Amino acid sequence: MSIKTAKYIRLTLSYIILLAAIVVVVYPVLWVIGSSFNPGNSLMSSTIIPENATLAHYKNLFENTDYLTWYWNTLKVCFFTMVLAVIFIGLTAYAFSRYKFIGRKNGLLLFLVLQMVPQFVAILAIFILADQVKLLDTHFGLVLVYVGGLIPMNTWLAKGYYDTIPKELDESARMDGAGHFRIFFQIILPLSKPILAVVALFSFISPFADFILASVLLRSPEKFTLAIGLYNMISDEFGNSFTTFAAGSVLIAIPIGILFLSLQRYFVSGLTAGGTKG
Amino acid sequence: MTYQKKAMLLSVIPGLGQIFNKQWLKGSLFLLLAASYFIVFFNTLNMGLWGIVTLGEVPFRDHSVFLLVEGIIALIIIAIGLGFYAFNLYDASQNGKKRDQGIALNTLREQYLTVVDKGFPYLMVGPGFFLLIFVVIFPILFMILLAFTNYDLYHSPPAKLVEWVGIQNFIDIFALDLWRETFISVFAWTIIWTFSATTLQVAIGIFLAVVVNQKDLKFKGLIRTLLILPWAVPAFVSILIFSGLFNESFGAINMQILASLGIDSIEWMTDPFYSKIALIFIQSWLGFPFVMAMTTGVLQSIPEELYEAATVDGASTFDKFKAITLPMILFATAPILITQYTFNFNNFNVIYLFNAGGPPVAGQNAGGTDILISWIYSLTMTSSQYSKAAAITVLLSIVIVTVALYNFRKTKSFKDEGTI
Amino acid sequence: MKKLLAWPLTFALAAGSLAACGPKEEEGGKEAGKEADKPKQLTIWEDKEKGIGTQDAIKAFEKKYGIKVKLEEKPMLDQQEKLRLDGRSGKGPDIITTPHDRVGPLALEGLIAPIKVSDETKKLYTESSINALTYDGNLYGLPKSTETPVFVYNKALMEKAPETLDELKGDKFGAEYSYLANWTDFYFAHGVLSGMGGYVFKDDNGTLDPSDVGLANDGGVEGLDYITSWYKEGLFPKGIIGKDAGQTIDALFTTKKAASVMNGPWSFQPYKDAGIDIGVAPLPKLPNGEYVKTFIGVKGYFVSSYSKNQEWATKLVEFITNEENSKVRFEKTAEIPPVVKLMEDPIIADNEAAKAVAIQSERGVPMPNIPEMAEVWTPAANALQLSATGKSDAQKALEGAVKQINQNIETNHKKK
Repeated sequence: MSIKTAKYIRLTLSYIILLAAIVVVVYPVLWVIGSSFNPGNSLMSSTIIPENATLAHYKNLFENTDYLTWYWNTLKVCFFTMVLAVIFIGLTAYAFSRYKFIGRKNGLLLFLVLQMVPQFVAILAIFILADQVKLLDTHFGLVLVYVGGLIPMNTWLAKGYYDTIPKELDESARMDGAGHFRIFFQIILPLSKPILAVVALFSFISPFADFILASVLLRSPEKFTLAIGLYNMISDEFGNSFTTFAAGSVLIAIPIGILFLSLQRYFVSGLTAGGTKG
Repeated sequence: MTYQKKAMLLSVIPGLGQIFNKQWLKGSLFLLLAASYFIVFFNTLNMGLWGIVTLGEVPFRDHSVFLLVEGIIALIIIAIGLGFYAFNLYDASQNGKKRDQGIALNTLREQYLTVVDKGFPYLMVGPGFFLLIFVVIFPILFMILLAFTNYDLYHSPPAKLVEWVGIQNFIDIFALDLWRETFISVFAWTIIWTFSATTLQVAIGIFLAVVVNQKDLKFKGLIRTLLILPWAVPAFVSILIFSGLFNESFGAINMQILASLGIDSIEWMTDPFYSKIALIFIQSWLGFPFVMAMTTGVLQSIPEELYEAATVDGASTFDKFKAITLPMILFATAPILITQYTFNFNNFNVIYLFNAGGPPVAGQNAGGTDILISWIYSLTMTSSQYSKAAAITVLLSIVIVTVALYNFRKTKSFKDEGTI
Repeated sequence: MKKLLAWPLTFALAAGSLAACGPKEEEGGKEAGKEADKPKQLTIWEDKEKGIGTQDAIKAFEKKYGIKVKLEEKPMLDQQEKLRLDGRSGKGPDIITTPHDRVGPLALEGLIAPIKVSDETKKLYTESSINALTYDGNLYGLPKSTETPVFVYNKALMEKAPETLDELKGDKFGAEYSYLANWTDFYFAHGVLSGMGGYVFKDDNGTLDPSDVGLANDGGVEGLDYITSWYKEGLFPKGIIGKDAGQTIDALFTTKKAASVMNGPWSFQPYKDAGIDIGVAPLPKLPNGEYVKTFIGVKGYFVSSYSKNQEWATKLVEFITNEENSKVRFEKTAEIPPVVKLMEDPIIADNEAAKAVAIQSERGVPMPNIPEMAEVWTPAANALQLSATGKSDAQKALEGAVKQINQNIETNHKKK
């Protein structure tokens, strides 16, 4: 068998495998899109290609639910979660990568491990704490909890990336008399754009998926995020509408999809995660 | 008496030692800090300590659970205060020692510079750490303490007070048949679930990343984007959709896919075995894109020379994968993989949203797909057994944390390397 | 260094515990005796979108007594949790709206206070509705409305409701399914089991005995056998088993694939919105000639124990649930008040849907309001599903369920 044939076979096989994977991945997603255009209320009465396509569910979403409010709330929460998370994580990871301090060795590990503790009793505590400090039913309180939850894992990722930035850069800057902050902002930050983009993306999408914390901390319907609104739509025992839910989900997935697409460049380079450092 | 001892003794009241060491500004700053600490927090500490000890004395006036929370906050404030206090003593004694040895103390300017220099990492880590204390540590403290109370429906504030009951909850857990009978089968499935679902999602993720990463493959960007789709859709949405697709009489999987292949309908929702298969499939679907993205990152950072050298040595594609690619990936992503395992161990959402832990199994009080966490949830939370839920969660956490810690320690990524 | 830290620590702790002597008892408090002073304002939490039914009554109350009443709409199922928080901080209402099956837990927690009303007032309402709002011998509220599942059919397919359920087994009425019911959900299945003679808790003159669970008695088993026959004979598809059954049934009914269903008043409007011309009737009889003994849900108004004006709050509750105001509320919200006289009033008697719900309510039993009920739902539903899918026979499944229920009650509801 010549090298050329071998290559040909390998590539064909690869394409077949990937095609199969894509079909499996896309099929349920197509169902969501399909059923959002189907008349009727249920997934059972839907087809993947609607016979009498209708925009009724999208209309319903805007006219009969607080979808726009939820959307706006979610974007707000996502944005501030992202900004705060990037700042906190950027700084923390830098300290972990470059400095010696008490708790450096085990601090991160400790939190990574503590986060594995099952949450459902703990949620009660967060709820009362939020009430005590008057952050219950505020978006700010929710943002803080999200940011806290994001720190350990993402700090670890970012630290891995910082570790790959040669330390000689810092040192020579220090020789030139640059302070801590200048080194961080002028040398490290520009070089760590890819990982910060990844952290930003992770932070931005996490509020979209959480309905548990959000529904515990947010009490009034006008403050709900999309996840709570949508989850209630489907979990409501009576008169729920799967198709409207699908329409709502499609409108969530579109911006996230675009975000993924546009950040993909960073994605791959950001996640090198210190793979070379070993 | 030496300066060291004197300074330290004086610093029992924060700042006095420093003033004795003639560090006037620092001293007065410490004194001021200590004073304001007591002024600001006196009430919080007073109420909090009283509350955490008694958990309230009069129903309706005192709400035990809130008192417990205030008590924990008080303990955290005390811990921070003690940290400062210890530093104050340490500082006074160190400077006193310097005086004993006749070394000149830092001037004001030098002090400022040391603070900025030494304090810089703390300044950077501080805000995040502070947040973590309240978002991660505080809830865990609450849970641990709750495990030693009798907080349940019949001891619910405001009508009743909650009391400390020592290790009664833990004794109860081990003494009750209710928990033991089903435990083994639930535990077995939890382990199978954790390993099969996670391993599968990791394997698929790595495999697809490697396939897509072939140099001569076209449309890489498009393929990656499509494959990453499950990540872009909120998980709870996907799970609920799968739950519809797997419906036995009306779902697309039975009615369209299997029917067109001439396969009879499968009991996805009412037979425990098939329900488990469906769950493992769904979790792999949900979880592989993350692993794939991570792996792709690692793949791109593996130096080409390694492969070239291997090719010269006559290694096959598979040999190269086994000897270079896989070890590199596993090395770089090990901590992430560990968190994936623990995530699935606790993956309440997928179990609960897909089939609510069902289908039922004759003769046991857990559903066929219930894992430990969803089983505990339905056993305790449906009847407001908060303290018992806390006690079991504490036990479960000890196991998870120990296993995770052990594995983290083994990975090289957490072994330390040099710093500035 | 360690030694160095130890003693200030003990010092700080000792100082702390000395200082810690708890909150100061507030002076004053309530003056005993005397009729309560008139408050300036009372707050009532009404169910979402149901405020229109209570508005007029509130205006009349304001006029009559000169007390302002603030009405806020909150989703009914959230009110319990909201009261927990807001009540404590003093922002809570004087009156909440809640379904009766939460009365037990709410009373135990001390969130709602028992009310004192005359026997005359009590007699205004059906006995079962008053029982539903009574826990541990105390009446906690007055009923606002009652609801229970009934027989809903598509008039285009079915001319009129059949007399017996068995009639639905023969004829398909031109649809794929003649009749569908969510019978693996205990809420809906209870009517069959209990119509045949099973029961959840032994009712001892209005007091429920949690130590006597009668689901696995002959009647219960017969009931489950009957339910199972619908699945076994292929009349019910397997796809309506388990958690998504309700949605699936709705979908099949609104797409005209099912000619009739068992569902509650909350479903009427969505069905009409889907373009189905629905007829509503009490449920057809069981094969043993008995009626289906459905669970009744009673929604009521309750006085918060945080309220500083409990007497006046009680008065307001009495006022808005009196015959006249209940009638207005029915006209505005179509929720059926369990007021005895209104049941015969043409306004209900001539309304097909309301009449059906009213009649079915008389045949049903209130859902148990004791906290032990929380232990029943899951084991009972499991038994239903095990039998319906043929994984276990009815007798064994129910005996297993009862064993679990008893075990759970013993574990979680030990009263000390």
